[in-house]
Amino acid sequence: MNHLDLKLLRDLRSLKSQVIAVALVMACGLAMMIMTRSLIRSLDAARDDYYARHRFGHVFASLQRAPLEVAERLAAIPGVAAVEPGVARPVTLDLPGRLEPASGLIRSLPDRREPRLGRLFVRAGRLPDAQGGLEVAVSEAFAEANGLRPGAWISALLNGRRVELRVSGVALSPEYVFEAPPGAALPDNRTFGVFWMRETELAEVFNLKGAFDTVALALGPGADERAVIAETDRVLAPWGGRGAYGRGDHPSDTRVADEISVLRGLSFGFPLVFLSVAAFMTNAVLGRQIALQREQIAILKAFGFSDRAVALHFVKFAMVIVLLGAVLGAVGGWLLGSKLVIMYHLFFRFPALDFLPAWDALGAALAASALAALAGALGVVRRVVRLTPAEAMRPEPPENFRPSPLEKLGLARRAGVSVRMALRNLSRRPWRAALTAMALALATGILVVPNAFRDGIAHVLDFQWDALQRQTAIVAFNQEAAPRALADVRQLPGVTAAEAFRSVPVELSAGARRRRMAVQGIAAGARLQRVLGENGRVLSAPSHGLLLSKVLGESLGVSAGDTVIMRVLEGGRAESAVRVAGFSEDFAGIAAQMELEALNRLVGDGDRVSGAFVTVASRSWPEFLRAVKETPAASRVVIKEAMRRSFRETTAQSIGLIQTIYLVFATTVAFGIVYNSASISLSERQRELASLRVLGFGRGEVAGVLVAELVLLALVALPAGLVIGSGFAKAILTAVNTETVRLPLVLTASNYAFAATVVATATVFSLWFVCRKLDRLDLVGVLKARD
Amino acid sequence: MAPANAVFEVRGLGKTYGAGPSAVHALKGVDLDLFAGELVVLLGASGSGKSTLLNLLGGLDLPSAGRLTYRGWDLAGADEAGLTRYRRDVVGFVFQFYNLIPSLTARENVALITEIARDPMTPEEALRLVGLEARMDHFPAQLSGGEQQRVAIARAIAKRPQVLLCDEPTGALDLKTGMVVLEAIERINRELGTLTAIITHNAVIADMADRVLHLSDGRLDREHRNVRRAEVGALAW
Repeated sequence: MNHLDLKLLRDLRSLKSQVIAVALVMACGLAMMIMTRSLIRSLDAARDDYYARHRFGHVFASLQRAPLEVAERLAAIPGVAAVEPGVARPVTLDLPGRLEPASGLIRSLPDRREPRLGRLFVRAGRLPDAQGGLEVAVSEAFAEANGLRPGAWISALLNGRRVELRVSGVALSPEYVFEAPPGAALPDNRTFGVFWMRETELAEVFNLKGAFDTVALALGPGADERAVIAETDRVLAPWGGRGAYGRGDHPSDTRVADEISVLRGLSFGFPLVFLSVAAFMTNAVLGRQIALQREQIAILKAFGFSDRAVALHFVKFAMVIVLLGAVLGAVGGWLLGSKLVIMYHLFFRFPALDFLPAWDALGAALAASALAALAGALGVVRRVVRLTPAEAMRPEPPENFRPSPLEKLGLARRAGVSVRMALRNLSRRPWRAALTAMALALATGILVVPNAFRDGIAHVLDFQWDALQRQTAIVAFNQEAAPRALADVRQLPGVTAAEAFRSVPVELSAGARRRRMAVQGIAAGARLQRVLGENGRVLSAPSHGLLLSKVLGESLGVSAGDTVIMRVLEGGRAESAVRVAGFSEDFAGIAAQMELEALNRLVGDGDRVSGAFVTVASRSWPEFLRAVKETPAASRVVIKEAMRRSFRETTAQSIGLIQTIYLVFATTVAFGIVYNSASISLSERQRELASLRVLGFGRGEVAGVLVAELVLLALVALPAGLVIGSGFAKAILTAVNTETVRLPLVLTASNYAFAATVVATATVFSLWFVCRKLDRLDLVGVLKARD
Repeated sequence: MAPANAVFEVRGLGKTYGAGPSAVHALKGVDLDLFAGELVVLLGASGSGKSTLLNLLGGLDLPSAGRLTYRGWDLAGADEAGLTRYRRDVVGFVFQFYNLIPSLTARENVALITEIARDPMTPEEALRLVGLEARMDHFPAQLSGGEQQRVAIARAIAKRPQVLLCDEPTGALDLKTGMVVLEAIERINRELGTLTAIITHNAVIADMADRVLHLSDGRLDREHRNVRRAEVGALAW
């Protein structure tokens, strides 16, 4: 090592707290970048590998029922490489020791061969025996949530018949990486699961021998998915086809894709902010170093070191910080990523979800932070080069101070000497002051974001399950029933109110845009399931026309008053033009609602209902659940509290974890910025402050100058920071929001107060720290040395 | 025409800082020759232009007017890279405020320069020449002012410079330590034959020189040659 580098090391050591502060800020940005990029890579790799090995289909369809020969016609569609028809039916379960009924989907497995598509991965035990014996494989998420192991027995209602099923094993399917009830945006693994049974047995129970009601298709290379979907729809139409869809509309696959896109949003926004802050801090630290080392620079030049060598010396200073930040960031990102990947197990079931560190991201991150630091160092290095040795040997001329603008206005007349000195210092270097205020504002701003996430979640919890859903539970029927089924529900013990609903699969289209989904019909004047518009206004389901969720409206590109074409995907396949009556607020998935009678009129198959929203008296809750379990017509009960709990334990927990990480990062950055500003302030003012001490000013009075300056800056920065933070929160939420889960921008006073308090606390701590240094100021030494 | 053995040839040298009405004319046409092995003292009041002259001789700055050559090398027209090479290979500087790198020890401060020199002595040798062999691993803050200045001298001479330029080398020192420093400079001049120029406003120091140049108001006022160089110990303060 040459001696210039030795000087560098010693300089770094003497500035270690500032160096560490900058490196930490940089590390926070890099850690987030590496963490998110690694998670993206891990999820991507796990998904691609799983889909390929277990042959996840490309196009999917469900239908009423069709003879197996129809599957051969599907296989003949140009571009189709493989077809796997099967049976999928709802099932109600009675689990030992569980009060509430569970439900699920039971699917067929070919008797004596591997499925051509959607092969299962067996985690424990084995696949069901083909020799009979009523065995099922249970999906892993459900098995875990309910403590089911191979050999366990479960009691199920299959096609209205009570059957005892033996659990042969625990399995995973690429079709259920994300396992949620049909149409639900959130998983509820305690009450919903997927089961697989051999096809002969299952077909027997449901009278579907030689028939299928669900099908998956694999496409050959270069196949046109849209054409295959259209052709599939045409083939299945006579058999009650409910509309084929590609992976892009597959409920499980879209959730994985959504999560990846959330991560992509996070992998960019936060690091960008943090790295910019780090660049600014690098600039400030280096700028101060150069001011302090004017004479050292001059000496080096006088003794023949070239501009390049001296500039490189300071660039190296910045690069050491980058390197330190990169190492800390890489380790941090790696550790956090490997922890978070475990969390994904809550949502996504892959045979293996290994943490794959995205080292290429580390390279990119390193380049990004090196660029950021270089950008920060650039102006400083230019100053080094411009400094001629002779000029640098002369002490800097006293700076040209003037009364500050505030003083000219007479505003500071009553202020003490410290405030006046602070004001003059600030107006003497308005850019430095503006940049420091900007850094403090950024520190405040990034603190707003994590809590905006928290408040968004709280809002969703309240909104979704209190404002919208006023019921205790939803009872879904096995199949659509006549309105008198509602009377049966009302007879269940403890039911105090019940309102019918109908859910119909449709395709909505406006021009070239189309979406497949379920439209919900709710009773006129419904009180148990509300539709809310902007600002929480209650909307009533229109007797003519549709209420669309805002996101669906955007997706279809329609506004209120426009007409959409609604094509029913079952039964008589009625098609009608429906007016868009308005837009509702909703935070999960897409939704369309209309009045039940109006929906029935449009579908044209008489008065039908799919289920009921009910409220149940709490004292009769156990009896109610027991009765539902005994009701063959009820296929599924969705318990509001269970959903809320599930949301809290999964989505909320994961966002909460990320929020906590960001909060720690943001707090670190805030402290780093404030401490750095205070340190630089002290170092610049050392001589002046020592002079004041020598002249007889007390410690407190001298500290007052520093304190006044930083406090003045903080006063300007805090409100600006809150505005900036609101912008950050909006931008980042927009980047991470997906169609399936959206967090609204909720900015609360407590969030603002928190951000302001952290920055204020950081300011007080940093000042305390710096003032302690002030106490140790070597008065004589400082005055003797030329600064 | 300058004598053939002149190391520096200075003709009509001028230096102006700033422009317009606020311009400062620090040097106003100086003519001068400096010879190998000479010990020259530049005397003058504050603002007389002596530091400016030294800076120009040392390649720290460029003149605004006139001619300045070192062994035929045109310093007035040199570019930054040329001046850097000149400073690196030819000149050693000693400043009033030592200007040591505080984060490096005495030995390391010297080594910093020997690393980039063409034919340096070892840092230890240089420090021995100034009598600091016992203090080599001390940081500047652990050394007295005189010791720091001697480290600065060791740093300046370690590369065996052709020219040693000292700007008020004793300005910040008391009498006794000032003498030690001057002795070190004198020894270097005598033993290594380095052309040495010392700036001072202390007229007593002039007695140790071969030649004394008096500057005032940016001009070379007069010069005189000492018949015999006084020994540093004999200087009457």
